[in-house]
Amino acid sequence: MKALVIDDSRTMRRIVTGILTPLGFEVTEAADGQQALDAMNAGLEVDLACVDWNMPVLDGLSFVTAVRRERKWRDVTLMMVTTESEQAQIVRALAAGAHEYLIKPFTPDAIRDKLQLLGLVELEESA
Amino acid sequence: MSFEIDVQAFEGTDPVYDIASEVFAAMIDGEPGFVRPWEGAPPAPVDELFAWVDVTGPMNGRVLLSTETTTAVEVTRALLGLAPDEPVVHADIVDALGEVANVVGGNVKSLGPDHSVLTLPEVTKERPTTEGGLLHTLSLDWRGRLLVLSLWMLP
Repeated sequence: MKALVIDDSRTMRRIVTGILTPLGFEVTEAADGQQALDAMNAGLEVDLACVDWNMPVLDGLSFVTAVRRERKWRDVTLMMVTTESEQAQIVRALAAGAHEYLIKPFTPDAIRDKLQLLGLVELEESA
Repeated sequence: MSFEIDVQAFEGTDPVYDIASEVFAAMIDGEPGFVRPWEGAPPAPVDELFAWVDVTGPMNGRVLLSTETTTAVEVTRALLGLAPDEPVVHADIVDALGEVANVVGGNVKSLGPDHSVLTLPEVTKERPTTEGGLLHTLSLDWRGRLLVLSLWMLP
């Protein structure tokens, strides 16, 4: 599975990458939505995009909207990972085409749980 | 409109402290209990770094995190899971402290009215202008190190 982590914070990209890599994802990072779109237009294959909301150049909601507009990217799973916790904003993101929404701060378990819900990682067997 | 968060209205708990505790437990320490209110008078900090985000719209305010650079280095190490002897570059410190301010600020924003907007974080060695007045301040003890979270009204 290939993941694209989009966040203007290098720290946050490293944290999310550090969670996704042991789960089997091959991760590419982008510092804003436009950089991510450019990479995808250049041929980067993406199964999962983890998208921050507040970013310079092109924000996360605009990125989600742009991806959903393109038929070639219909299989890309989009998960917002953001500090935006306002209910109306969550609804906007989901309406724009995001599949899941994770509010910062998050734990590694929280990301794994979301990915399990999305069917991107296998469910852990109970002890 | 100014920053309208009544921190006294949360039935004896400080919502800003709760947010800080959650941020450090989830992102920095991996478990709760390493952040507590600073006991007694906090020491005068030296060589400080300031990280902040502004909230604009129905409320206008600034969420400011300040700490000594040496503490910011340790926060960065913890965030990135670096070993004690691994070097930390200044750009990483700036980015990490800014992201902590961003996450705290985003959660503080959620305490106020809807439709406010969060700015991107800024980090400087100089204290930013805070002309609108102090709304709330919280001195925190993180592993024996001082961090100060404050909310400011913007003019």
